[in-house]
This record gives sequence, structure tokens and C-alpha cells, in this order.
Amino acid sequence: MEDKQEPKGIVLTEAQKKSRRERSIAIALALGVLVVLFFAVTMVKGPAVLVRPM
Amino acid sequence: MSIVEHQFDLAAPRISEAGVADYVALLKPRVMSLVVFTALVGLVIAPGHFHPVLAFTSILCIAVGAGASGTLNMWYESDIDALMSRTANRPIPRGRVTGPEALTFGMTLAFFSVMTLGILVNWFAGALLAFTIFFYVVIYTIALKRWTAQNIVIGGVAGALPPVVAWVAATGSLSLEPILLFLIIFFWTPPHFWALALFRNDDYARAGVPMLPVVAGPDATRLQILLYTIVLVAVAAAPWPLGYFDAVYGIASLLLGAAMLWLAIDVYRRRQGVAALRATRKLFAFSIFYLFALFATLLIEVLVRAIAPWVG
Repeated sequence: MEDKQEPKGIVLTEAQKKSRRERSIAIALALGVLVVLFFAVTMVKGPAVLVRPM
Repeated sequence: MSIVEHQFDLAAPRISEAGVADYVALLKPRVMSLVVFTALVGLVIAPGHFHPVLAFTSILCIAVGAGASGTLNMWYESDIDALMSRTANRPIPRGRVTGPEALTFGMTLAFFSVMTLGILVNWFAGALLAFTIFFYVVIYTIALKRWTAQNIVIGGVAGALPPVVAWVAATGSLSLEPILLFLIIFFWTPPHFWALALFRNDDYARAGVPMLPVVAGPDATRLQILLYTIVLVAVAAAPWPLGYFDAVYGIASLLLGAAMLWLAIDVYRRRQGVAALRATRKLFAFSIFYLFALFATLLIEVLVRAIAPWVG
């Protein structure tokens, strides 16, 4: 007897899966850069990071 | 038969196949590279010590802000991009990215670049970056480009601001040196873009964009190119006698200016056939080198002084 269920809803093609994965990795890297940037500037400025001149 | 089993005939949602390369193309990487370079020069010639991490943050934010401007420009102009051979391959006309996707991407980048520059560096620089993006997208792209032949003259403000933003990021204030850099790029923009418009005249006419050659004709454009080039050469050389930049820059600006002027005269004189086309293409290509070389001279001077202070 076949246990495997037919997929329901939208099924992505291989090209769609590949591009979605690519975009997800790019977003993750961009967020990573943002976190590292805020951390690095906080280290550089110390408590002065809270002083934001106009 | 129950109501729940009723079948709705809904259109299948569009699933994006856009890759990272499509989103990178939206950023206009070639324009971005010139923005980054001019901003870097503005940052390097600024007085005082600026921590490398803050310098990197500033340049990154300016680059992302330029990318946001490019993306929002492509979002608004996708209809005319599809009509021009130079731009028909951009991600939106090709159907790789939809308009709403590009708008969301551009707005997100604009928000993060401005906020990050404001929070991590200073709010004056952040506000100036926001103004630059606003000017490029709203004033140039939306308000001017389809309305007036002076579109790229006024719109040139946005392209000329990056070194000013960088200077403000480094110093927290404004002075004459970055304004001189601003003026150089501002007066460089018309000869550069009108040279492009001369050999892409059919493209712009087809898309209904009122570039100067379309509205006033090629001969009037050639005269305007020459006049703006004369002003450009004078403005680019002025910082030397005024004492802001030294003789190395002054001589470089005169030599480069002489070549730029020679090519502009050539464009003015050759009005027909292949020779005219070749002259405009030459001016367009050289104008990119001109701006790059002029700013590179300033950059090299500062680097040489930093490595070997006894030189200058």
C-alpha cells in the first residue's frame, strides 16, 4: 500500500526553490552584517554610542 | 453537497524566481561604484581622525542608500525602461522582479541606510543621505525626468551629494571643500549624460523622455555640452588657485580638463554621420575617466601624505 501523500497546495519548482534559498541566504547575510556593524561601532564608541550628535 | 466543498477558481499566486543577481542589478552597481568612490574621496580629504569602523559604516550606508535610489528609480521607470534598448534588460521589464517587490526592496534599503548612518555616525549625515535619496527619487525621477529637458541638470544634485554626505559623516559639519567636490560632479553631469543622450536619442524619443537632444535637437545639445564643459573645467581647476587643493591636483585638473574640452569641441564640430557618433561616444567614455581621475588624484595625494608626510 502506498503511504506517500500527494502534496497539497502550491508546489514550488526546483528553480523557485533555488531562488528562494538564494534570497534567504542573502537576507541572513545582510542581517548578520547589520548585527556585526552595530556591535563593532558599540565597541569603538563605548558609552558614547548613546550620544548621537545632530 | 456542503458549502465547504465549494470550489473557488482562484488564480495561482505568482512565485518569484528572482535570484540575488536580479536584486543586485536593481542596485545599479556601476552607478553605485562611482558613488562609493566619490564618497570615499570626500571622507578621506575630511580633516581630523575618523575611526576606520565608522568610515566603513558611512561608506556602506552611502552605498546602500545609492542602491535604494537606483532600485526606486527602476521601480518608477519600469514602463519606459521596457521601451529603451539600453534598459529593456533590467529586472522589472524582464519580468524577473515585480514592481511591488522592487518598491519594497528599495524602501527597506532606504530606511536601513538612513537610520544606520544616523544612529551609528551622526544625524546630520543621515538626514543628508535621506535628502539625497528623496531628491533622486521624488524630484529627479518622478517630478523632473518626464517633464523637462533640464531633468539631468537639476537631478545632478543627487549624484553630486555623496562626497558631501561622507564629509559630514566624518566631521559632523559642512565646509567649502565638499561643496567644491559637489560643484565638480554637478557640472560634470550635463556633458556626461547629454553625450549619452546624443547617441541614444532614438531610445529616449521612443520612450517619450524629454532629454535635451529630443526636445531642442542635437546641435543645441552640442552647444550646451561645450558650455557646460567650459564651466566644468573652470570649476574643477578653481580649488587650486583658491588654495583648497594643491598644485598636483591643479595640474591634473588642467590636463584632464584640456582633454575633456578638446573632446567637447570635437562633439560640437562633428555633426554628421559616423564621425559625430564616434565623437559623442568618446566624450561619454572619457567623461567617466575624467571624474574618476580627478577624484583619484585627491585620494592619492592624501594617501601619499599619510604614508610619507615629508612629501607634502
